[in-house]
Amino acid sequence: MEKDPTHGTSKKEDASGVEFNLLDRAFMEHPQPVYQKMREKCPVARTNGFSGVVLFSHDAVQYALKHPEIFSSKMEAGFLGNKHPLIPLQVDPPQHVKYRKLLDPLFSHKKMVRREPEFAKLANQLIDMFIDKGECEFNSAFAIPYPCTVFLRLMGLPLEELELFLEMKNGIIRPDTSDPDEATRMRTETGERIHAYFEKAIEDRIKKPGEDLLSYFIGAEVDGERLSRPEIHGICFLFLLGGLDTVTATLGCGMTYLAQHPEQRRKLVENPEIIPSAVEEILRWETPVTGIARVLERDATLEGVEMRKGEHVTVLIGSADTDENAFPNANQVDFERRPNPHFAFGGGPHRCLGSHLARAELGVAFRELHRRIPEYRIRSGEKPRYAIAIREVQYLPLVFGAGS
Amino acid sequence: MKVRVDRSVCVGHGRCQEFAPEVYTEDERGHCLIEREEIPPELEERARLGAGNCPEKAITIFGDEVRKSLDGAG
Repeated sequence: MEKDPTHGTSKKEDASGVEFNLLDRAFMEHPQPVYQKMREKCPVARTNGFSGVVLFSHDAVQYALKHPEIFSSKMEAGFLGNKHPLIPLQVDPPQHVKYRKLLDPLFSHKKMVRREPEFAKLANQLIDMFIDKGECEFNSAFAIPYPCTVFLRLMGLPLEELELFLEMKNGIIRPDTSDPDEATRMRTETGERIHAYFEKAIEDRIKKPGEDLLSYFIGAEVDGERLSRPEIHGICFLFLLGGLDTVTATLGCGMTYLAQHPEQRRKLVENPEIIPSAVEEILRWETPVTGIARVLERDATLEGVEMRKGEHVTVLIGSADTDENAFPNANQVDFERRPNPHFAFGGGPHRCLGSHLARAELGVAFRELHRRIPEYRIRSGEKPRYAIAIREVQYLPLVFGAGS
Repeated sequence: MKVRVDRSVCVGHGRCQEFAPEVYTEDERGHCLIEREEIPPELEERARLGAGNCPEKAITIFGDEVRKSLDGAG
């Protein structure tokens, strides 16, 4: 049964001033033991530094996700360089619903499954480019170009400008500085570039509409009214951040895990029919989007910790997904786990809009990669390198074949 | 055994369909629709798994199997 974390106190130690930093590379490499330690110590903690109040337990995370009227994702929840609210993320219910009604059907499970043959063709074209070399740097050879090509085609944006899009989304998600003020400055500057880019792209589509999403948004109506220019910007800006990073991150985390666990990898090769459920388990265990930002609309108490209106909260879905209270044998990676109700795509009304697109892309990618490259390992003497913020494996040198 | 979905809680994860597409389908937005409320014995286990797979716990199971389904949903 669902527990109510707003009642009683499960606080085990003093939960104030806890040392925990989401922006730490060592944490990003092996977050699961850190999550476990923190859940045992203080399921809800007030941390030193930028993370604010952090929710570690499954109960607390679930409560926050399901109560956007308390844990809001409005613009104040986290600065991402945008001038207009990101749509639908930074709009709270009930207004949020009108945008989801427009956007949900575009990314429905049924529609995404229909695109799988197209994804398979693209995956194989990419694999063709490196398979004969017997090795690849997985991030640049596959994890970046595969989902980014899908996304840019969907939006109707030019593939030749991929480098520019990557630079812009990285400038928002992980600006290259440890100074918070400098990070804000870089995000503001990058945000202005993104808005300027889309302003021009929107003008171009008004003159010459295509069969793409951008053209669709220009003509689309919500409650009998066209989307305003700021609304179209809000959608495009969010799509750029969501569409260009998360599937790349999941592919990298998944392939790293599979390269490090050959006995698990063989299960996929020998039984490709378990790939859809293996994808869910990889999503649960790795949860590449480790935490999401919220801000409190009013005072609230979770797991005995009092929080004040206006405080920033990091909802650590990665920790919820490895909580023994919600997942039996949570530390075991079981590709046939059933059921597997993880929060890797968040939950509540703000459930990731692109979750069905991501699932379709991931299922096809793992299937085609393991069909064509059943054996691979990390090049000896090398280590995968993880990025901060979202667990993207930025450097993953893979060597194919059974090895010595 | 019967299943029911709370449409005010469903947000369209679509996870219920993985195990029992004969029981759970979706509307235009991808939110759960119950194809058949009365579950024949041969579909009971999969219907229960579909309910347990919902991260929002939006699906309830009725009938003499209630206890079992709640355990299954964690």
